[in-house]
Amino acid sequence: MDSLVAQYSRPAFHNEGYSQEEQQELSQTMPGDISLKFALPPVAQPHAWLRAQTDDHANPSCPIKLAHGTTTLAFRFQGGIIVATDSRATAGDWIASQTVKKVIEINNCLLGTMAGGAADCQYWLAYLGMQCRLHELRHKRRITVAAASKILANLVYSYKGYGLSMGTMCAGVTPQEGPALYYIDSDGTRLAGNLFCVGSGQTFAYGVLDAEYKYDLSEEDALELGRRSILAATHRDAYSGGYINLYHVKEDGWVKHGFNDTNPIFWKTKLEKGEFSNVTSELV
Amino acid sequence: MNHFPQAWGRPRDDVYGAYNHSYLQMTGPKQHTQSPIVTGTSVLAIKFKDGVVIAADNLASYGSLARFTDVKRLRTFNDTTVVGFGGDVSDMQYLDRLLNSLDIEENYYPEGHRLNAQNLHTYLTKVMYKRRSDFNPLWNAILVAGLDGEEKPFLAYVDLLGTRYSSPSLATGFGAHLAQPVLREYVPDEKAAENLTQETAVEAIKKCMKVLFYRDARSLDKYSIAVITKEGVDLKEDEKLENQSWAFADRIRGYGAQVV
Amino acid sequence: MASAFMQPGFGEAPGYSFSQAPTVAASGAREHSFYPYTDNGGSTLGITGQDFAILAGDTRSTSGYNINTRYAPKVFRIGSDDESGAGGHIVLAVCGFAADGEALKERLDAMVKMYRYQHGKPMSVKACAQRLATILYQKRFFPYYVHAILGGLDEEGKGALYSYDPVGSYEREQCRAAGAAASLIMPFLDNQVNFKNQFVPGSGVGHFLEAREPLPLPRKDVEELVRDAFSSAVERHIEVGDGLQMMVITKDGVEEIYHPLKRD
Repeated sequence: MDSLVAQYSRPAFHNEGYSQEEQQELSQTMPGDISLKFALPPVAQPHAWLRAQTDDHANPSCPIKLAHGTTTLAFRFQGGIIVATDSRATAGDWIASQTVKKVIEINNCLLGTMAGGAADCQYWLAYLGMQCRLHELRHKRRITVAAASKILANLVYSYKGYGLSMGTMCAGVTPQEGPALYYIDSDGTRLAGNLFCVGSGQTFAYGVLDAEYKYDLSEEDALELGRRSILAATHRDAYSGGYINLYHVKEDGWVKHGFNDTNPIFWKTKLEKGEFSNVTSELV
Repeated sequence: MNHFPQAWGRPRDDVYGAYNHSYLQMTGPKQHTQSPIVTGTSVLAIKFKDGVVIAADNLASYGSLARFTDVKRLRTFNDTTVVGFGGDVSDMQYLDRLLNSLDIEENYYPEGHRLNAQNLHTYLTKVMYKRRSDFNPLWNAILVAGLDGEEKPFLAYVDLLGTRYSSPSLATGFGAHLAQPVLREYVPDEKAAENLTQETAVEAIKKCMKVLFYRDARSLDKYSIAVITKEGVDLKEDEKLENQSWAFADRIRGYGAQVV
Repeated sequence: MASAFMQPGFGEAPGYSFSQAPTVAASGAREHSFYPYTDNGGSTLGITGQDFAILAGDTRSTSGYNINTRYAPKVFRIGSDDESGAGGHIVLAVCGFAADGEALKERLDAMVKMYRYQHGKPMSVKACAQRLATILYQKRFFPYYVHAILGGLDEEGKGALYSYDPVGSYEREQCRAAGAAASLIMPFLDNQVNFKNQFVPGSGVGHFLEAREPLPLPRKDVEELVRDAFSSAVERHIEVGDGLQMMVITKDGVEEIYHPLKRD
């Protein structure tokens, strides 16, 4: 009789609490599966909903503003790979930070750069670092840049349409490949190449880099070219600025060449080398 | 990739389709279960030195129609706590069923911990926040009045988004605009509430109910009022506003062409 | 929504292979009309020193032009005893949507306590900061509408401060202001904590001026800076006021200080 009644009656209320599984998840000290468990808004088109909340380009008054905007570059030359970035993050018109580390040290031989959504890049490059380490443990040798970049490309491709936004470069030197450079973006594009600039200031960086680039550049000249290209971009692109973050990737790992304020570098470049002659140096 | 830096790192229209503003707009077609139909207006409450006074009128509106005039929007829980509901009446009745079952479950334990007002408020907050996260909100603004674990007066608010806060005096809906300023004259801070007598508190609430009836078009002159102290709950569900004075309306001559 | 049509370049942009001016989808019938966020206003700020970190927030909670309450804390102890508040060594400040903030705080708190239970030692601030980033990123597609700041002492006993965007990009910094009055407080902090645009007096003229090197400030000065930052923000922002809650983290534990602010 009870089961008959139960069949035709609705409960007076639902279970309003969290299931045991959900509760356990809430207090987990280690993220269970770093890549796969994402809360989705329970609507028909989660990506359209998310975009309405966060796309400050289409709607400058959108409620949630995420950190954006960048100039990053990397190029191959005879001595390895130069990686250089600015350090500004913007949320709408607001400069959220001037000290962002946009070069992410995946391991001591592999670097990633960060353009687009800051959180997306940080999270997925950390995830990539984990996968690279696992690869190393499983196969007893370092992962190739080609393989690492493909892990990332496949990963972001599987999230295509969800609204991830990242334009990243993977740079590394391995015995199998020599210096290798890949560009990966959130559309799923993966390209190998000698020279890439990514971000809102890319055009300005390309301008300087293309004009001066030669594969046979000396190490010193290559570092200076990387620095000078970022400087050009921070000068002309309002969404780029802050500090110049410079790295050199060599056969036995990467070397950091400073995190330097653009302002003194700009004045030094102008006053000592006579460049940026459109800018007056008169101080009134 | 295009030549406008602002667009960089943002979703591209050719990949993701056009930006849909309607997600941010509150107007436009609505699914009926997603918005309140039969609604109650403000709930008011104020703390005094021995407890809390809470009140709400007995009206349930259907849009601008004063549809049901004997709906009790103050519910007692556990004989020690009063919950006042504003917003959707069906969701209020659902929550009432939920709280009843919670009360029964709690009373299975032979003796021991009974949920006080603070515990109940925390529980309601979790329910409301989970529902909003599921995009299936319970369309209410709720005041919980009673005593906390130390038997001190407790008064707190929770709404359909799971937002919660506590204050010496609280008012939901229209009351937040009309009554709260008056109540804050009586209790600007916790210290003032500790010195307020029950008589003054009741008088303040009654005054505010009157103010609301004068200006809130969705209100009624019949209301429920409850006083919660250590002795228990004193709930009166058929009060009528007394000593109304419409003198302020004396010179109101309507709108438009009417001048005399 | 008019602002969507007032963008630079709209209508006068040259034609590219795909349209740059964002087209707007028709707002027809949609599944849900419910908007799950609100902004409860207020501001938070954090500054670190040599051997301490201070996190502070005002205690006003607003919705629109209404003041909900004059005392709604935004700064929380993480991993401490619920009743006495003892034992915690990490502090979280959140502003934005208060319900999300509280949910986030409770998750992090439970997580830090579980860590202590499972590992038999308190969680380091660095580990906690990393975990908070993943917690925020788990909700990448349905974000917590909060700007979080996490403070504590690092392994060397130095003040540590981490700031977050709503979906979990984070960075360790010397100082950070977040929330409604961030744009009022942050430039002040840049100047007073990191000595931005300050020069060594008499070091030269024009291009020869030497920038003043930033150095960690003593606790007394930092507390004063925090009070000044907030009492100034109160003068110019309607969502900030009522009270200032400060948490000072030192090797001796977490100390809470409350100052009244203007309530108008």
